[in-house]
Amino acid sequence: MVNDLSLDTINALAALILLADFMLVASSRMRSLTRIFALQSLAMGGLAAVVAFETGVGHIYVVAVLSIALKAVVIPRFIDYTADKIQVNREVEPLVKIPGSLLICAAITMLAYFVTEPIMELGTAITSNCLAISFATVLIGMFMMVSRRKAITEVVGLLVVENGVFLAAVSTTYSMPMVVELGVFFDIFVGVIIMGVFAFRINRTFETVDSTVLRRLKD
Amino acid sequence: MLTSMVQALLVLALSPLFTGLIRRSKAYFQGRQGASVLQPYRDLAKLFRKDSVLSHDASWIMTITPYVCMTAVIAAALMVPFITDSSLGFVGDLIVVVYLFGTMRFFMALAGLDAGSSFGGMGSSREMTVSAIVEPTILLSIFTMALISGTTDLSGISRNLATSGLDLVRPALFLALAAFFISTLAENARVPVDNPSTHLELTMIHEAMVLEHSGKHLALMEWSSMTKLLLYAVIMANVFLPWGIATDLTAIGLATGIVAMSLKLLLFGLAIALVESSMAKLRLFRLPNLLTVSFSLSLLAVISYYIL
Amino acid sequence: MFVDQLFLALIVLPFAGAILAATLNGHAKTSVRIAFTVSSLSSLLGLAVAFLIFLDGEMRWELPFSSPFGPLSFYLDTLAAFFLGTISVVTFAVSVYSFGYANHYEGKYPVGLLGAMFNIFFSSMVMVVSSSNAILFLIMWETMSLSSFFLVIFEHRQEGTVGSGLFYLIMTHIGTAAIGMGLLLMYVNSGSFDLSSFPGAAQGMSDVLRSAVFLLWLVGFGAKAGIVPLHVWLPMAHPAAPSNVSALMSAVMVKTAIYMLIRCCFGLLGVQDTWWGITVLAIGCVSALLGVMYALIESDIKRMLAFSTVENVGIMLIALGVAMVFGSYGLKELAGLALIACLMHVLSHALFKSLLFMGAGSVLLATHTKDMERLGGLAKRMPYTGAMFLIGALSASAIPPLSGFISEWLIFQAMLQSFSIPDAMVKILITVALGTLAITGALAAAAFLKVFGITFLARPRSRDADEAREVPKSMLLGMGLMAALCVLAGALSFAILPGLDQVSAPLAGASIADSLVNGIEIVPTVGEFSQASPPLIAVIILAVMGLVLTLSQAYGGRRKVVRADTWDCGTPLTARTEYSGRGFSNPINRMFSWVYRPIRTFRATRSPSPYIRTEMRYTSTTQPVFEKYLYGPTEAGVRWAAKKISVIQTGSIQTYLGYIFVVLVLLLVALRL
Repeated sequence: MVNDLSLDTINALAALILLADFMLVASSRMRSLTRIFALQSLAMGGLAAVVAFETGVGHIYVVAVLSIALKAVVIPRFIDYTADKIQVNREVEPLVKIPGSLLICAAITMLAYFVTEPIMELGTAITSNCLAISFATVLIGMFMMVSRRKAITEVVGLLVVENGVFLAAVSTTYSMPMVVELGVFFDIFVGVIIMGVFAFRINRTFETVDSTVLRRLKD
Repeated sequence: MLTSMVQALLVLALSPLFTGLIRRSKAYFQGRQGASVLQPYRDLAKLFRKDSVLSHDASWIMTITPYVCMTAVIAAALMVPFITDSSLGFVGDLIVVVYLFGTMRFFMALAGLDAGSSFGGMGSSREMTVSAIVEPTILLSIFTMALISGTTDLSGISRNLATSGLDLVRPALFLALAAFFISTLAENARVPVDNPSTHLELTMIHEAMVLEHSGKHLALMEWSSMTKLLLYAVIMANVFLPWGIATDLTAIGLATGIVAMSLKLLLFGLAIALVESSMAKLRLFRLPNLLTVSFSLSLLAVISYYIL
Repeated sequence: MFVDQLFLALIVLPFAGAILAATLNGHAKTSVRIAFTVSSLSSLLGLAVAFLIFLDGEMRWELPFSSPFGPLSFYLDTLAAFFLGTISVVTFAVSVYSFGYANHYEGKYPVGLLGAMFNIFFSSMVMVVSSSNAILFLIMWETMSLSSFFLVIFEHRQEGTVGSGLFYLIMTHIGTAAIGMGLLLMYVNSGSFDLSSFPGAAQGMSDVLRSAVFLLWLVGFGAKAGIVPLHVWLPMAHPAAPSNVSALMSAVMVKTAIYMLIRCCFGLLGVQDTWWGITVLAIGCVSALLGVMYALIESDIKRMLAFSTVENVGIMLIALGVAMVFGSYGLKELAGLALIACLMHVLSHALFKSLLFMGAGSVLLATHTKDMERLGGLAKRMPYTGAMFLIGALSASAIPPLSGFISEWLIFQAMLQSFSIPDAMVKILITVALGTLAITGALAAAAFLKVFGITFLARPRSRDADEAREVPKSMLLGMGLMAALCVLAGALSFAILPGLDQVSAPLAGASIADSLVNGIEIVPTVGEFSQASPPLIAVIILAVMGLVLTLSQAYGGRRKVVRADTWDCGTPLTARTEYSGRGFSNPINRMFSWVYRPIRTFRATRSPSPYIRTEMRYTSTTQPVFEKYLYGPTEAGVRWAAKKISVIQTGSIQTYLGYIFVVLVLLLVALRL
């Protein structure tokens, strides 16, 4: 049913998505975070397009285009703009050092594979590879949110989680209903805008967006 | 058997040219004229004709190290396929080759400690630190290729991969190639791990270890390092992207093999020069970040071979 | 028949020698000569017995007196014979070495007792690997532990020696208790103490019970072998012992534990459960990695070698775990391959570790210190010791074509074959273990480079090192024997492997000797996966080296080699300007600081001017993680429990009589019911 070239392309793109996860964790500069995220969203859009081509479901094409436009172009630019405006330090300051984070992500990937193994046997050819990677992406995104200090990097982590969920949806159910897709996209878009505004205001009030410093607000 | 010896001699003879090519490309990228690509040959010839100076404190280790390094690298060259896919693979497979490089590193580091200067000790210490992460990366990435192609014999990997067309191409291959490329930079003292043309002690790793050698000894050490670099490039060319390798000794096969190998070596030389010219050398304690990235890539490569 | 008599001589001769040496304790030189001649002869006997078993087959022999625990029998099959051969060959070299080494204790410590205990130690080890009766085994195990304890505390006036010995005694008894419990559980299920009845009983036991026995034995034998976290006694006890004893302890005593692990898990319990193999694999990985990491930062030569033993035991357990995993999936040939790899590593480690400890003993004898930071420049003052120590270090770092490389190569090949396993998660775990093994290998090379480089190269860092002289010939002979074997066992490994296959075939269920060795090549796998030829590697290396030497002399003409000072930028170089051991391993210390957790303190004395300091003090110590978080709380818990229980010790006679009275009444009532 699925021809070999498409399957190979999907595999390659899925591997690229997983690679982008690792590069996100390994990067120590804010600029490269947004760039790698853009690359990942591009790969995600490409993967959705191939799935659309294979299954013939029309609206996945729309979803793919939307994904590329929003997540690969608009949102990264907006995050860069916000980062510039609040003149935050260019360095990502991780709570867990980079080599350690990389090894934890490798362990997460193995865990994701372990968890999805029984489901894989039931799924189709497209599903099996992408499901484990989508789980890994979600978990790595959550790990990024936990282990990075700056508010902006946490938002990127959230976006990565959304990418993972999207990948799972596309590969297993051949995309959610159109309405849900559009709703999710809008949510993300608005969420990022709100994040931008808030980051700007937080910075103006407290002179920092470092979440370990902001913790003191609790007292 | 004879082809392996001829190929090993060719590798040995061409390695200064490869280094010259990289230096010339770096000069071009940096806007300089640069020395001719044949300059390393002249340097080696000059060094062979000079006397050697050995330290009073050095022991017999320093005297034998250049010969051991040269021997190890030639023995490895015998087992790596170059233009044709035959080599002495039945004598030693990829693990033997990696550990022969390890032998070379061991003796170089010993010689670094032998003269009793701080430079040498520092070079040895840093070299062993880098190799602690790089050696597993190399092993894992070549293991990925062994798993993909079904054999650990380097010439067998080339043959299987080249003759099977694009069937065996998988994402794992590219991940492993990326990891191996970073390891090539690390093992052969290239920026961003080490600066091969520096003489400031803060920035030396490889240069520090060979600092005390002179004359014929230095010529042998430099030549073996150049050959090691060429061998790494040849492994990248023939293990990861072996299409075009000559599978038989006909004239057409050999011609294709020579052309393919030259193109690939040119490509890798330019890539190395490009990376060297566009990145700054990393601080020593930033290196674990980069090296762990390449280690995770190689680990990912093996895992993705099983998953995807 | 012949074998029986040889075996009887083998176990009786050392005891006779021990008694003789002990009685002649007053005449130091004579008792040394007698003791070590007897041990050399006994070890040669051991080698002969081992060879005969390999040629002729198994041997069973019973002690002529009966006991309430069934017949006390000895049983030697190929597995026991292999370990017997390893023990014997190492003991022979160490005995030759001890002729020179023990003499330097003359007048300071009772040398006759050293020789006596040495012989008892050897004999007990022989009987440990050949016992077929559980009670006999426990008696011999205990004898081995006690004799090694006395050997460890031999230099009792040194600080810390007796403490290390006592700690070792406690740990080995904890291990023995676990082993004993396991053996008793098996006895209860099989009705006999004879080990040959255990496999049948194991089939009938429930899974839970079998796993319990497996875990008890893993803990018990693991404590003796030095797995993490039960390894803390090893770096304390092995260095405290005299060097010839350390060589024996590190090189062969831990092997007896590995022998029993192989015998129990493969032979007696059978390997149906994959999680057993994975547990052993995981413990092996952790031990290997932690062992080598702690070895890297040590500046005491013998402690570093002890940690390296922990690392190599980890490597052996990795190979054993892989074999168990293969066995649990029914892949018998691959299990045999992994088992052969494990056994080859047992042999190589015995060879190079004994060589290294003997070298350390020579250094200790010549310079009176084992602290690397006070040594240096010994390669020129003790050339033979230096060369042989280098061979040991090369074998430990897996340099081709020495035996250490061959065993590591075989382990890698066995692990690569894991693609035949159906379960993908297990495949990935074995791949992670492979990565761990690769890191361990690289770090081990760094560690041995540091030991050899700092101790033997460059300038001496103290007067002791400057005045070192080469050691007596007998010590050199012992070391030379092991060095030669390191090289030969590697280059001629194609001859050794069929013998190892004879050992593994009955355990794994399949013999791979035909496909394993093809002429002078080793082909460890099915199909054309890989092959290598160690003797050809050696030949190539020698040929190319010769070629390089002649050609480089020819080109450019003969050039002089001038001796001058090391380039010093104008400042005269002293011992302080050399790289130190601590500095050498500092980058790795920082890179892995989450393992080492160094505690750094810095104090500077105040002086009138803030710009001129009169004294600055910097200390950096590794945090003793296991002592602090595992042993400390356990000890505190035991003390607390003991305090609570000590309430019953009132000290008054009335209460004690009262206890007896109460128990008596209870027993009478119980019997009536």
